[in-house]
Amino acid sequence: MSQALSFLRNPLVVALALIVALLVLGNALSPGFASGQQILRLLIVAALLGIVAAGQNLVILGGREGIDLSVGGVVSLSAIVAGNAMNGLDAGIPAAILACVATGAFFGLLNGLGVTLLRIPPLVMTLGMLGVLQGLLVVIRQGVPSGRAAPALSEFVTRPFLLGLPGIIWLWIAIGLLMAFILNRTVLGHRIYAIGSNEHAAFMAGVPVRRMRVLLFVLSGVFSAIAGFCLLGYSGSSFANVGEQYMLASIIAVVLGGTPLSGGKGGYTGTMAGAVLLVILQSILTTINIEESGRQMVFGATLLLLMLFYGRGRGLRA
Amino acid sequence: MTKLKLSGVSKAYGATMALRHGDLEIEAGEVHVLIGANGSGKSTLCKIVAGSVRPDRGTVLIDDRPVTVSGPRAAKALGIGIFYQELSLAEHRSVAENILMPDLPRKGRLFVNREALAETAGRYIALFAQVAGEDLTADTPVGRLRADQRQLVEIMKALASKAPVLIFDEPTSALDRAQVDRFFEILRGLRNEGRSIVFISHRMDEIFAIGDRVTVIRDGETIGTTTIADTSPAAVIRMMVGEQEGLAVPQDAPPASATGGGTALSVAHLSGQGFSDVSFTVARGEILGLGGLHGQGQSALLRALFGAPPAHSGAVTLAGAALRTENPRSAITSGLAYVSGDRGRDGVITGRPILENVTPVHALRNRLMLASPGRLAAGALPALKALNTKFAGLSHPISSLSGGNQQKIVIARWLIDRPDVLLLDDPTKGIDLSAKADLFALIRKLAEDGLAIILYSSEDAELLNNADRILVFNGGSVRRELAGAERTRYNLYHAAYEAA
Repeated sequence: MSQALSFLRNPLVVALALIVALLVLGNALSPGFASGQQILRLLIVAALLGIVAAGQNLVILGGREGIDLSVGGVVSLSAIVAGNAMNGLDAGIPAAILACVATGAFFGLLNGLGVTLLRIPPLVMTLGMLGVLQGLLVVIRQGVPSGRAAPALSEFVTRPFLLGLPGIIWLWIAIGLLMAFILNRTVLGHRIYAIGSNEHAAFMAGVPVRRMRVLLFVLSGVFSAIAGFCLLGYSGSSFANVGEQYMLASIIAVVLGGTPLSGGKGGYTGTMAGAVLLVILQSILTTINIEESGRQMVFGATLLLLMLFYGRGRGLRA
Repeated sequence: MTKLKLSGVSKAYGATMALRHGDLEIEAGEVHVLIGANGSGKSTLCKIVAGSVRPDRGTVLIDDRPVTVSGPRAAKALGIGIFYQELSLAEHRSVAENILMPDLPRKGRLFVNREALAETAGRYIALFAQVAGEDLTADTPVGRLRADQRQLVEIMKALASKAPVLIFDEPTSALDRAQVDRFFEILRGLRNEGRSIVFISHRMDEIFAIGDRVTVIRDGETIGTTTIADTSPAAVIRMMVGEQEGLAVPQDAPPASATGGGTALSVAHLSGQGFSDVSFTVARGEILGLGGLHGQGQSALLRALFGAPPAHSGAVTLAGAALRTENPRSAITSGLAYVSGDRGRDGVITGRPILENVTPVHALRNRLMLASPGRLAAGALPALKALNTKFAGLSHPISSLSGGNQQKIVIARWLIDRPDVLLLDDPTKGIDLSAKADLFALIRKLAEDGLAIILYSSEDAELLNNADRILVFNGGSVRRELAGAERTRYNLYHAAYEAA
């Protein structure tokens, strides 16, 4: 590829170009698709996905086959926990936030300990955790009302708050800035990249590899919990498996954004673009009347295609 | 009658000449010993015979006919059997299957003939019945065997190939005395049958016990072949050393700083994986060399001092206080630094910028939270400059640099904040000559500034030229200490090869 076109190899540029292309396509298929109101709605959905993908991104960056398949379960559980903690009352919000974060951190901690102390591969560990969470959700839902969102939370997620954007968009922007700061400007960030690109060298240079890996899973749990909390505000009331769709989608968003599954490189800015891209794609599929099952197939195929394109990066690892 | 003859074989890996001019003549019915120092080219020579390396030039003759050994299968077809130093056993399969792996007895075309397998393997196991231990049976999975038993199985596997030419590359390293004696009896029997045996060992007593003739290789060239009966261990070592004056002229006395600095690190009866009962002290300002053949416990000792993994028993004292290193992190905060020659595994954080590769230790020792590029660069630049590192910018990926400069980046990592003890584990592996010179000039300067330095090098010249004292390792323990005028290549080999 010539020098002039080399920017095409930057996944972020590719993702942004695809976003514009998909918006144009969507508007052609269904006029009004790219209207301001509609784009805002897409961004809210993208923010929910993007917050889950932040945790997924961290776990994947940390390398050693890092992946968190339990995010969807944590999102669902946290939405239920939040709904029951606030039960439609604004006064319950602080307690709900605490309960959600604690829930996410707890299951993230279990994942992290399983991966580091018990040496269970992340894929297996988090898949098992997903099974546990799904079972737990069934148990919780039996006979117990799943709770309602407080008005302030719904407003935070759906009503314009500042410059016409709702609070959740601002929260997402803040998370984006925080992630960029942590990854690029803190020793913690350098260590995340270090364990992702050469775990042994990082260990020999004094990086507490195990503690770091546990921390990444905890953060992933917390981000999923925050997303579950916001999701309650978006849908008004929580129902089981509301988070199910986030597992595959969060992984695709990360890979679309230029973080290879082997970890060690990439970042969150690309993941944010990946999340937006994915939500637009999903919306287009809905517009042309493709059912949920069809959308899942398209998502799965997208991930496999991405692996084909970016897969070669894996071989470059020393 | 000449069974196997190599003449003028050479092999280069990139710019490195692994073998310059290798000659070897093996008669039928002899045990032929091949000997040479670290990196002399004897492994390459063996690999050429075994077919795992193709020579650039030269000829290989078997029974006076020129042959091309195009791969391990071709070697087998030509009647060459090899004992591999890196054990090549299948852990989960039985002893019998492993012994006969290259040629499993068949029933029809598809099925393994179990009876024949047990019977044939049983014959080889019976050869060592007295010395192998009762738990070595045909059905035992190899994974359950001890190290010496595995080595015996590997020997049986080579014997079972029934090849007229058998190559044994360090076959006795894990065996006890009785096992070695039995193995030698078997070898003598094979020799009397007219088989040709190439024997590589680093133990002079074994070489003189079993060998008929010996060929010495030095710096990639065959120096000569003599009859064992006509030579002595000292004479063989002199052939290995050669007339390499100028390379190994020890300074008459170590620099003043090497003696007056006071003890920095002392190690008492330290044992761990790969070394046992090692004791020594190193003074501030001193460069202590660890010498001997590859893999005799030098690296294992350095890594244990650094906590990767920690030693099993023994005591380490750093500047008067007991030192307990659980992992590299605690070693670093105690003031230790460790530079590995295996930068791909231990050093380079692949694909990340130079800045992130230089600063992890700095961040740890100063308990930094923020990674401000300006502040980190201020720490990194002087250390990089001291090593004459060539790079375009701190934000460039480390992979954009040459191997030597990558290693300098990794070394600079340890020098931003001065450690008390610098552990160098073959630090110049695979870097060019000028980078080596820069590195050793810096190491001497660091010693003069009061650092205690422990240097292991697989290149004897580096040790002889740079170390104030040398501990010669063999089989995981220190066999001899060379100081002052004793630091000669002759003495180094003498101790390394245990010439009595």
